[in-house]
Amino acid sequence: MTRFRIFAYSGVLICGIVALAATPSSAADHIIKIGALLPISGPGSYFGAQDKQGIELALDQANKAGVGGYTFEVQYEDSSCAPLPATQAAKRLIDEYKPDVLIGEECSDATLAVMPIIEQAKIPLINAGSSSIKVTDPGNPWTFRIMPNEVMQGVDIATNAYKRLNARTAVLLHENTNAGIGNANVFADTFTKLGGKVLTDIGFGRDVNDFTAIATRIAGMGDVDVIPTYTLEGQGLKITQALMQAGVVKGGGGKAIQLGTIWLPFGFEQKAGNAAIGYIRIVQFDPTDQRPLVRDFIQAFKAKFNADPTHLNAHAYDQIMLIADVVKRGGKDPQSIRDKLAETKDVAGTTGSVEFDKSNQNVKMDTVHYMETKPDLSWVSLKWN
Amino acid sequence: MISIVLQQGINGIVIGSLYVLVALGLTLIYGVLVQINFAHADIVTLGAFAAYATTHFFGESYVVGIAAALIAGAALGWLVNATIFSPLRERGSELLPLIATIGVSIMLQNAMLALLGPIPYAFDTPYSNHVLRLGGLFLTVQNMLIIVVSSASIILLYGFMRFTFLGKALRAVAQDRETAGLLGINSNQLIMLTFVIASALAGMSGALLGPVLVLTPFAGTSVIVKAFAIVIIGGFGNIEGTIIAGLLVGFIESFTTQFLDPGLIDIVVFALLLLTLAVRPTGLIADKREENV
Repeated sequence: MTRFRIFAYSGVLICGIVALAATPSSAADHIIKIGALLPISGPGSYFGAQDKQGIELALDQANKAGVGGYTFEVQYEDSSCAPLPATQAAKRLIDEYKPDVLIGEECSDATLAVMPIIEQAKIPLINAGSSSIKVTDPGNPWTFRIMPNEVMQGVDIATNAYKRLNARTAVLLHENTNAGIGNANVFADTFTKLGGKVLTDIGFGRDVNDFTAIATRIAGMGDVDVIPTYTLEGQGLKITQALMQAGVVKGGGGKAIQLGTIWLPFGFEQKAGNAAIGYIRIVQFDPTDQRPLVRDFIQAFKAKFNADPTHLNAHAYDQIMLIADVVKRGGKDPQSIRDKLAETKDVAGTTGSVEFDKSNQNVKMDTVHYMETKPDLSWVSLKWN
Repeated sequence: MISIVLQQGINGIVIGSLYVLVALGLTLIYGVLVQINFAHADIVTLGAFAAYATTHFFGESYVVGIAAALIAGAALGWLVNATIFSPLRERGSELLPLIATIGVSIMLQNAMLALLGPIPYAFDTPYSNHVLRLGGLFLTVQNMLIIVVSSASIILLYGFMRFTFLGKALRAVAQDRETAGLLGINSNQLIMLTFVIASALAGMSGALLGPVLVLTPFAGTSVIVKAFAIVIIGGFGNIEGTIIAGLLVGFIESFTTQFLDPGLIDIVVFALLLLTLAVRPTGLIADKREENV
């Protein structure tokens, strides 16, 4: 080989390396980079653990053949269900990983905290866990929510409590967070307008462990028909057991029915035991749904994890699949992914369908499913929507 | 209304007893070493998981679970003191062991997170849902057990500190380590004993708290802040003061929940703490810090 050839080949090689290094967008690598802000530590970490499973399954499926020539990769950051770690995690992801799209957080306070950061960075965020109305109202052009917000859930559950359960009195239990307070307020407004009476509104911090004193207070209030409860799983479990011990709810021989929203995962009944009997709650995923999409998801999830999927698994799966759908429709970088997300109409997911309004809120109510815990701790879908 | 007040009184005694158990270990270590142990919370958590594993995986009774938690706590206390705190103390720095307790705490939390996962465990004992009712009052057998075991532990610890040679030696080390050494007391061995007793108490309180707490690798952290408050209100190192302060905080929690709002509990507890620091900085009982322990 002559010196000239060596020089020429070297030049070509160096030019190639320089060209590759200079390519600014990951789209040129045919990879869509997804940043996941998940609570991996702290009291909300059960969200992160289950979200990861759903994400991994979706990645397996989406990357098998790719979508429009693109594959997907996810970088996880622990956002801890709290504003400060969430903002730090978002900054780390944006500065170092440079994602095309973000998913997360679960807790409203954390999501609200990262929204200004993603807006400034102009990277779309898909949320499937935060119910606070503030996420989309006023929201920002870069944040999309595929789950029903606190108003959609709260109005619906209060109306059903009044009309279907004939409830006339309620005690509200909620953690003192944006989502907890917001959900309780929406229920109270709707229930009161319908003619019901809210006997008291009890808020508490996430550090409260023993709910016997709260249950005692409720037991002393006389007839309580429903107890809407807005907490994470751990506290929810203790509240339900304390209400049973105090003889307030059906599981403890009382008449009150606890009502819950999508904060609790499946398996809650088995952990709570008889205390959960009669508990009615919204879930966003109905495993008895006969749509092929849902059946295939359940089958694939069982094959991969040897367990039944929860709504948290399904939520996370749907977020990745929605991104895949957006890429199929031409999304390839943050701006085009945002634009295609905004155009989303009637995209089917395992938790329901997705269609965003002008505030980027999913307007489809087929994502709201009700279930009731039976005496044998199994549950039935109430088919209220 | 009388039955509600009585019921909240019972609730206060139950939660107060648990706080006392957790705080006693903290106050013991502070009294002897003048050191705050931030890893105490994680020994509580470890105790809870030790009891959980004993009952749920090995099928043993809850009482055996409590004993296992006590032993696990004591063993961890011995290990951590022997391998980390003691060598650092020998370097003569007060700051290093304090920082090390934070490091041990973070390490234990993350080790438990890696091993046990983040999803809350449902730690029910055969007594958790066995409810005794009398008139308008109710008490689970679990809560009755908490009161009995806590009371017995408090009495035993009090008797040990007041009436045994080792207890008196511990108090001597707490008051003046050098003079105690001149009298032939091996302060290193007694410091180790303090860690073992305090950690055993933490482990046992974890076993009792497990069915009450939201059981995750971070469970102990949720009670430790109140335990610190109790130690300060009761007087750093003062056992009697810690008992009174623990029960007081238990009552504050119950009655604030009943008559005010549970969201105000921390405000009331920490207002009491600030008041104590301002008016009686040596705690509820002692006039001087040296009188504690």
